[in-house]
Amino acid sequence: MFGKRLFPGGIHPHEGANGKAVNSGNAIEDVPAPKRVTIPLSQHIGAPAKPVVNKGDHVLVGQVIAEAGGFVSAPVHASVSGRVVEIATAPMPSGLHVPAIVIDNDFKDEWVELHPAPHPETLDAAGMQKIIREAGIVGMGGATFPTSVKVTPGKDKTIEKLLINGAECEPYLTADHRLMLEKPAEIIDGIHLLMLAFGVSEAVIGVENNKPDAIAALQDACRGTDGIRVQPLPVRYPQGGEKQLIYAITRRVVPSGGLPIDVGCVVLNVGTVFAIDEAVRLGKPLVQRVTTVGGEVNNPRNFRVRIGTPVICLLEACGGLKSNVIKLISGGPMMGMTIQDIEVPITKGSSGILALGPESAEPEESACIRCGRCMRACPMSLPPVRMDQYVRAERYDDAVEVGLMNCIECGACTYVCPAKRLLTQSFRMGKRMVNVRRQEAKAKAEANAKAVEAEKAREAGKEG
Amino acid sequence: MADSKKTFLGTFNNGMIVENPTFTLMLGMCPTLGVTTAAMNGISMGLATTFVLVCSNLFISLLRNIIPDKVRIPSYIIVIASFVTIIDLMMKAFLPDLRAVLGTYIQLIVVNCIIFARAESFAAKNPPMLSVADGLGMGLGFTCSITLLSCVRELFGSGSIFGLQMMPEGYQPMAIMNQVPGGFITLGLLMILVNFIKQRVAAKQALRKEGIA
Amino acid sequence: MQKNLIITTSPHLRDRATTASIMRDVCIALAPAGIAGIVFFGARAAVLIALSVITCVLAEFLYQKLTGQKVTVGDWSAVVTGLLLAYNMPTTVPWWMAVVGGVIAILLVKQLFGGIGSNFMNPALTARAVLFVSWGGVMGAYPITRFMEDTASGATPLALLAAKETVGDVQLWDLFIGNCAGVIGETCKAALLLGGIYLLVRKVIDWRIPCGMIGIVFICYLIYGGFNLALKEILSGALMLGAIFMATDYATSPQTNLGRIIMGVGCGLIVFVIRAFANYPEGTSFAILFMNVMTPLIDRYTVPKYFGEVKKNG
Repeated sequence: MFGKRLFPGGIHPHEGANGKAVNSGNAIEDVPAPKRVTIPLSQHIGAPAKPVVNKGDHVLVGQVIAEAGGFVSAPVHASVSGRVVEIATAPMPSGLHVPAIVIDNDFKDEWVELHPAPHPETLDAAGMQKIIREAGIVGMGGATFPTSVKVTPGKDKTIEKLLINGAECEPYLTADHRLMLEKPAEIIDGIHLLMLAFGVSEAVIGVENNKPDAIAALQDACRGTDGIRVQPLPVRYPQGGEKQLIYAITRRVVPSGGLPIDVGCVVLNVGTVFAIDEAVRLGKPLVQRVTTVGGEVNNPRNFRVRIGTPVICLLEACGGLKSNVIKLISGGPMMGMTIQDIEVPITKGSSGILALGPESAEPEESACIRCGRCMRACPMSLPPVRMDQYVRAERYDDAVEVGLMNCIECGACTYVCPAKRLLTQSFRMGKRMVNVRRQEAKAKAEANAKAVEAEKAREAGKEG
Repeated sequence: MADSKKTFLGTFNNGMIVENPTFTLMLGMCPTLGVTTAAMNGISMGLATTFVLVCSNLFISLLRNIIPDKVRIPSYIIVIASFVTIIDLMMKAFLPDLRAVLGTYIQLIVVNCIIFARAESFAAKNPPMLSVADGLGMGLGFTCSITLLSCVRELFGSGSIFGLQMMPEGYQPMAIMNQVPGGFITLGLLMILVNFIKQRVAAKQALRKEGIA
Repeated sequence: MQKNLIITTSPHLRDRATTASIMRDVCIALAPAGIAGIVFFGARAAVLIALSVITCVLAEFLYQKLTGQKVTVGDWSAVVTGLLLAYNMPTTVPWWMAVVGGVIAILLVKQLFGGIGSNFMNPALTARAVLFVSWGGVMGAYPITRFMEDTASGATPLALLAAKETVGDVQLWDLFIGNCAGVIGETCKAALLLGGIYLLVRKVIDWRIPCGMIGIVFICYLIYGGFNLALKEILSGALMLGAIFMATDYATSPQTNLGRIIMGVGCGLIVFVIRAFANYPEGTSFAILFMNVMTPLIDRYTVPKYFGEVKKNG
């Protein structure tokens, strides 16, 4: 509205102690590699990776220890050099236990031989996709969708615009901010290489206005390049949502149930672009990432951390937790997951580890007062109040009718609700129920079809 | 129907309590809301309806094997209308004042849903004695309900019950109780009360059964 | 280092606004009008306000206790109802009317329909309507303020405006500061506007309903009787009180932006029609009650298209 680059709805969540203002001033530090890393095989959306090493094997940093388990999947690399102790299951931040490879660090930090692309500027789309795939790069904003799949549009689709997500709209998180500030040249270089490889003429980096230094650094770095520009965006959660970012930058609306590529866009996180640049220029696979540790810790920091490092190592490097901590979160406070075990490893999607105090406790639910705030906050213009009523009444068809499946689970409605209703939670449950029912219906239809066919065959047999 | 074995008393009880036309079946809402501003009106309306209901149930039950299915509704109307005319003329002769108050509602008994519903769903399928029991039960159930309703409305709307002053001297009548909204509100509140009591009784009975078992 | 960590699902941050804080804001916004009412109509106004509020809170407390529900009087909503009910009464009513009204508002209209958020009509307004229909004589007789001359009859500004020859008797300034006959909370437009601005700033209400309602009354009267009359009309009667505090009641007004405009305009039109052409001098309460009943319908037909909604059938 009024020429401002805004999507509908949105909120301004508040932060507690050690938020963005404090932590964005802390330069990225290397956290020492731990004695033992636990590298999960399902760090991405899609099929888990298949291990290619055995117990007792000696591995080097960057060595493939598990290869992609399908098209929508990504390989996993060793983040330290040392001996494979076991292939077991390990808890993930989601609370699920997934297969993981445990490696004991020999602290020699021996790397495999790296193979940088010989002529990065002349890479074609297939070559770029191969490098991204082999480097095990996934969406590093937290979504962890394999990037190689994202940059492989369908046959009749072309990438017109490359959008780089530097919004970092979640409270507390500063990892992307620091990365943009410290590595602007590498990010721009990565964008440039991607543009060359995919023949894209325009790339836009969207950064929220609350990071003027990062905007300036990127603008400096992209001076002289053709087709790359930085777009400052108003501060509003969830500005970093894919559909919201595309709308804010291009005014294009991704159709319901569609993907960004349907409107000619590919959205990549700045962290992802940085990883791609390292993979192309240095031949480095994804073995470490930048993670914010903030909130109720004694010294908030931004760390460059090896994948598989237990969360406790980071907390110790931050001087420990304050006494009022009741929750540990992997990711941002709006969409992240609570960690129940401080041995949980850092994964490719861990944008932050946050410690939250008593204000993050689940408040008691009370009756809806019909204030309508949720409808105004929803970045998808959905009516959360009605979706919630329908889901709780188990009227899933009606819930889908008013848009349940379009919910991006950003939590904005739940944040603003004065009655403290568990809206996002209810939608998550509702979406799962709808999917389960759809699968059941599909299975039933298939079974029916089979039965009909069998019957037909029998009839035919009789007649014959 | 709650009692499967159809006895005279069981059928009567069913109409009076279990399937009370006002509070359970919600039939005959028109006179229920229209005439219940005073207890006297309520009870007379109820008794007039009971008379018509018992007589029409009896006759329709007797004729149930003669009336062809296709013309049963007109037939019922003729039977019912005859009795309504009888009661209307009787009231004109003996209770002209009351008839003036009840006005057209007496004639409207012809299309009262309770009478139709009982004719259609009970009298047409059951023998005469049971139909009379049903008519008596339903009719008296209706009478009790609307009398109760009109007592409450008269008490608050005029400060009296059956014309006897009940409220203290300075009571200012609550005029809304004499109007249609007052009827709706009172009916709703009484319905809450009746359902509440029924649930309590049902819960107690269930408990007792469990105790025996 | 190992602590007892809580496991919940996202989001982990919540806004500080709660139902109680919103209702408290409404009470704060209502305070100036109440103070003005006490100043203009004397201590009896204070007694009625107190009685009404106490009755409402007590009725809610007792009902929830007796029915074994969670007691929610801490959310201040019963206080808001009590204040609004008292503001809609003239100071001359007997004290028990405030009690009866409070019981009707909380028990009959609010709790029996499911408590906060579930009532389909504004509790205070419905109670006021019941009182008005039951005891029209006292509820409809508006006293003059302490600062008006005794010779001035209890005619409300609206009654004066209704007759062409007495339009000039109504002074704009008196209307604005509240020195005119009326019920406790409606007369002082300055105080009501102050409260309205507070609610707008605190984002408790949005502008659509009050602006739509007052705006449409103004426009209609501008066409009907000119600028002077239009200005006096919007400053008279319960329009301000209704538009700012009662038509905006969450439970009984639409949630969508378009729906709220429809609500405001609908209320305004009905107010105009009743004032200009009907027997009643004032129609604010009935206009709002009528639109209250329309609210579910409005909400149903004004759900906005969701972001990226694909048109069906091409």
